[in-house]
Amino acid sequence: MNALVESGLWPYLLVIVAAYLPTDVWRWLAVIFARRLDEDSELMIFVRAVATALVAGVIARLVLFPTGDLVTIPLAIRIGAVAGGFVVYFLARRSMLIGVLAGEAIMVAGAYFTAG
Amino acid sequence: MPRHEVYPWAGQRPDPRAGHDEKRALNRAANATLPRRANSREAWYEVAVPESPAHSPHASSKGAPSPHARQWYTRGLYAGFTSVQGFVLFASYIGFGGLCAGIGFPLGAAVFSSFLVLALPSQLLLVGGFAAGSGALVIALAVFLSAARLLPTVVTLLPYLRGRGRLPVQLFAAHFVAVSIWVESRRHLPPLAPAARLPFYFGLVTVFNLGCVAATLIGYLLAGELPRALAIGLTFLTPISFLLALTRNARDRVDYLSLVFGLALAPLFATYGGRLDLLWTGLAGGAAAWLFHRARNRARAA
Repeated sequence: MNALVESGLWPYLLVIVAAYLPTDVWRWLAVIFARRLDEDSELMIFVRAVATALVAGVIARLVLFPTGDLVTIPLAIRIGAVAGGFVVYFLARRSMLIGVLAGEAIMVAGAYFTAG
Repeated sequence: MPRHEVYPWAGQRPDPRAGHDEKRALNRAANATLPRRANSREAWYEVAVPESPAHSPHASSKGAPSPHARQWYTRGLYAGFTSVQGFVLFASYIGFGGLCAGIGFPLGAAVFSSFLVLALPSQLLLVGGFAAGSGALVIALAVFLSAARLLPTVVTLLPYLRGRGRLPVQLFAAHFVAVSIWVESRRHLPPLAPAARLPFYFGLVTVFNLGCVAATLIGYLLAGELPRALAIGLTFLTPISFLLALTRNARDRVDYLSLVFGLALAPLFATYGGRLDLLWTGLAGGAAAWLFHRARNRARAA
């Protein structure tokens, strides 16, 4: 197992086992159970809530505990870029494009001035 | 453009009312005889790829594949190339490629995941879990929980993808369903003749799938070429755009609550949650949001 984890094939196996299969299984289930499904059931609301919290959790993790290049950016700048993008998004009357550009501008400027 | 058509993959699900009406109608129509939906705008791709009137695919909907399946496939390709939805999707995948480069996920595996998985939230959980050093089982469970959202999208699209009812074809077609494909298919497929839908759909998904693969590759390679500050900006594109997309797609209290709980619980569980922190974040955050929502509904009903 360890040899496998250390080999170059591991990420590819991860793609298949940890991403492809658990995603596609829902597509297959949908084909099989298509006619017996209520999209507005409490179960589906719960599923949606868990899915949203999961993705939100990954975002927070990528920003707060980054790996790779983002580590070199001070925490304050990372949080500032997210918060700035968020605030500008609302100020710009919920424009995603402007919000993303604002967050990116803060991040790129921060990266530029903290040249490592 | 409706909000949900721009960044459709995050926190997104089909409009339940539209889905219900359509599903009911479709179940009654038993898929082969779906009525052509009145469409005030002339379908522009019919102009782009004209059909020969002698063999109109509208004429025959059953039996052997239409001799014009290839033509409809080409039209699907064309619709994919000119889709705004597609360009937004490709931009997100450029960001995903940049993220993979930034956190050291191998190029081949990044591209492979775009080819095979076709769901950006699943891929984000994959590389996020990889970066956090989570085990395969933990990542698989997280992806499994989050991908449940695909179920209703496939269900509402399926009546248009039944083809001649063969299960393997349906399963293959369903493999490509993601939220952006869902949006585009719901726009393009209903007005088409039943025999034209499947080839058109396969044309569309060919462009979307290969486009995402190319975008991942471009984003990854770009990250290596750009100056450091811009490469970091590229890495940051996925988190910031996902966050704003989740915010924008939130339609009711449950969505907002699960977003806030997910963000707030992540650092807590990352510090104290051990190896399953991602799962705890999703389950605890989602369950808390759902319970809160139910309690409020009960209180209002009482």
